[in-house]
Amino acid sequence: MSVARRSVLQAGLAAGAFSMFGRGPAFAAAPALDAKLIAAAKKEGAINVIALPRDWANWGATMDRFQELYGVKLDSANPDGSSAEELQAIRTLKSQSRAPDVVDVGPAFAVSGTKEKLFMPYKVATWADIPADTKDKDGHYCGDYYGVTAFAANKAVVKNMPQTWADLKKPEYKGMIALNGNPLSAGSAIGAVFAAALANGGSFDNVLPGVEFFAELAKIGNFSPSKAGAASLVAGQTPITIDWDYLSLGYKQANAGKAEIEVAVPAGAQPFGNYYCMAISAHAPHPANAKLWMEYVYSDEGQLAFLGGFAHPIRFNALVAAGKVPDAVLKTLPPAAAYKDIKFASLAQSDAAKKVIADAWPRLVKV
Amino acid sequence: MDRQIVNNDRLGIGGVAVLGLAGMFFAVPMLMTAAFSLWEGGTHYGFAAFRILLQSPQLLEAMALSIELSLATVAALVLLLVPAMIFMHLYAPKLKPAFDFIASLPFVVPAIALVAGLSNLVTGPEWLIGTPFYLVIPYFFLALPFVYRSLDIGIAAIDLPVLTEAGQSLGAGMGQIIVMVVLPSLRASLVGSALLTLAVVFGEFTFANVLLFHTYAVFLNQIGQHEANAAAALSVASFLLTWGAMLGVLLLGRAKAAKTEGR
Amino acid sequence: MKAPIAWLWIGAFLAFSAAFMVAPAAMLAVQAFSDDDGFTLQYFAELGQYRYTTAFQHSLILSVASATVGVVAGGLLAYVLQKPAAGRFRALVTSFSAVAANFGGVPLAFSFIATLGTLGLLTTLLKSIGVDLYGLGFSLFSITGLTLVYAYFQIPLMVIVFTPAIEGMRPAWREAAATMGASNWQYWRLVGLPVLAPSLLASWILLFGNAFSAYATAYALTSGNIMLVTTEISAVLSGNVTSEPQVGAALSLGMIVVMVLVLIASQMIGRRAARWTVKS
Repeated sequence: MSVARRSVLQAGLAAGAFSMFGRGPAFAAAPALDAKLIAAAKKEGAINVIALPRDWANWGATMDRFQELYGVKLDSANPDGSSAEELQAIRTLKSQSRAPDVVDVGPAFAVSGTKEKLFMPYKVATWADIPADTKDKDGHYCGDYYGVTAFAANKAVVKNMPQTWADLKKPEYKGMIALNGNPLSAGSAIGAVFAAALANGGSFDNVLPGVEFFAELAKIGNFSPSKAGAASLVAGQTPITIDWDYLSLGYKQANAGKAEIEVAVPAGAQPFGNYYCMAISAHAPHPANAKLWMEYVYSDEGQLAFLGGFAHPIRFNALVAAGKVPDAVLKTLPPAAAYKDIKFASLAQSDAAKKVIADAWPRLVKV
Repeated sequence: MDRQIVNNDRLGIGGVAVLGLAGMFFAVPMLMTAAFSLWEGGTHYGFAAFRILLQSPQLLEAMALSIELSLATVAALVLLLVPAMIFMHLYAPKLKPAFDFIASLPFVVPAIALVAGLSNLVTGPEWLIGTPFYLVIPYFFLALPFVYRSLDIGIAAIDLPVLTEAGQSLGAGMGQIIVMVVLPSLRASLVGSALLTLAVVFGEFTFANVLLFHTYAVFLNQIGQHEANAAAALSVASFLLTWGAMLGVLLLGRAKAAKTEGR
Repeated sequence: MKAPIAWLWIGAFLAFSAAFMVAPAAMLAVQAFSDDDGFTLQYFAELGQYRYTTAFQHSLILSVASATVGVVAGGLLAYVLQKPAAGRFRALVTSFSAVAANFGGVPLAFSFIATLGTLGLLTTLLKSIGVDLYGLGFSLFSITGLTLVYAYFQIPLMVIVFTPAIEGMRPAWREAAATMGASNWQYWRLVGLPVLAPSLLASWILLFGNAFSAYATAYALTSGNIMLVTTEISAVLSGNVTSEPQVGAALSLGMIVVMVLVLIASQMIGRRAARWTVKS
């Protein structure tokens, strides 16, 4: 399951008036990666990434730092592409010079891509730290970061921040609540439905209460069908959005001068989280760089960069146990309680849930 | 002469009402976007979003690429479609249903499926697939329905067989007839077609995005959801610019036509 | 010799179209009917789901409504603009139409939400003078709302393609009719509209097809919560949740069938209307 990607500014614009994200703790030296790999990568000289918005989990800073450290030219294509589009790019462009070297896709697509032999197996140096249920045992893909579903509100329009799922039904929020896309096609929206299910008597195996919750929101007029994004949140058209925490926190930081955004993980319910997976294209035009990129992202520095974008790196627990996460950074994240016992839905559970949603949502949710 | 005919030339209350309503319907959403593009947060208004746009090299590159693609697509259409349609009307009118069908296909084959199909079929040489001009092929077909219908209506309004016969009886070859007689008669449709093609190419997003080319629409979409003000600024600015450019082309075309017709 | 050249050109156009459009469309057909084990109708069977039948219904209603609104409003506008008194507006409006005809997607949806959304400027303004649009049942996020938004590019499109037809109407006919004592209404009913009929039909088909295949605007406005065939296709082909290319192919095939039926119907109507085409 994966999330609808967002559009984003290219480096030129981002360097302008918009704030850049913090890069996490600053490192003086580069991570200690295999020298031979670095040499091979420098010889190739370029890397193509796809569907990595600059403001999504701090990818912008990671991409800049990679180029800085290894002198390699990075081309970022289709920043707001979906997971399906990433796999399609591999199928369509194969090993053309424009083709993607690495992809960052939702778990369902990681599995289907492996089946379709689109990926090259590779195990990074820190493979052991990655939780077993988020990686392929043969190394075709592995999770890289995760987050949970959270509420975001534009304080200029929303005087009282909703704290729980039940709060969303209050009449003062009429026409205000929107999702990042539609649960039939967008991962963040599915996450919201799952989270609503967990809070209203459902479980990982039973997502129907979530659909029913949104059906009721639509009936009482609180649900707005338009697609929520940074623009609509900041402009006040969709003043309350239910989206991944790292995205909303990112918008909050980026628009600090323009609009006051408040983000909260809903209280009183089990949080719903999801992760993304990275994989190397089997036809990568720059395989050494692809491997170097993976090594960098899974190094301590690369993982901590995700925190700069308010996303939890996949090696979070290992890093915290080793004392490598500064307290100052921990403070910028939502309270740790939400992430302590985080459990992800298994692939089988997600697939079943998608079928239920695909059937029930069009029938029950009437806008 | 009956008074009624003269009255018809004036706008009348109905005419004014139509123009007024249309004006309001089209102006209001555009004004809203413009207002939003000037918003800088709180009650601040200013040109910050526009300034940022102007400083962006990606915007200029994207615009340049889209302009080149537009011109190439118009050229392709004029060279291949227009003569084919003229010849079809003259010599093979029974083929019209086939032309109609082909001209309507782009609407029903969704862009995303067409790209997948095209890529499976055409794995050709990198010099073709690798350059953005590969896009001219799908763009030709995306503009096709509009251009075809526009030309269809234009050709129906002139009497093609008679014009051709007249030209031939004066000793002109087919090429001369097309260039010197038919095309000028179709001027309104041709201008409309060129304008439509330009607009289609500038607005086309799916193909360029899937094939990872950095065209104007791709760029606009990329800032479309994150940076609302810059996106609104770009929408308004590009709308006004394109409008101005087309207005210029139109007025220029009329001035030139007036000169040649006043022979 | 003109004949061989003519056939060469027609042949070139047809071959080009076949290679780059018909063939991929045919591939869609193959894809819709096959899975790992060969020929199957299962994907077509899936079209019977509530979700997809509703999508087809919605798309058809929206396209018919949008095309009709576009033809009527655009036709009127084109007619008014052709009057000599409207001369100075003509170039302005034509160029505006060319741009507006392709203005769509996120920017268009955004501007309409900002104007007529639940928290839009116009909505709030009207509420302050006592007119509660949403209370009265209007919603931008409905087929009606979509038709309104689509009109923003349908009407200009109509103006562009229909203007040559209006230009082709000779003032002499008007004068002749008036000399014979025909009223305005009689002129239109017996001369004007019949002559314009083929062009009106051709324009209607174009607008229908345009609305039927529109995707970006509808998605930006409703994020697929109002089921339309195009948003459903993108959901199964390039969404982030499921990837079912065969269902997408089946849906696309369904769209092709609808367009072919519309074309056949138009041919039949057109043949009757063509009796009135000008022949000197």
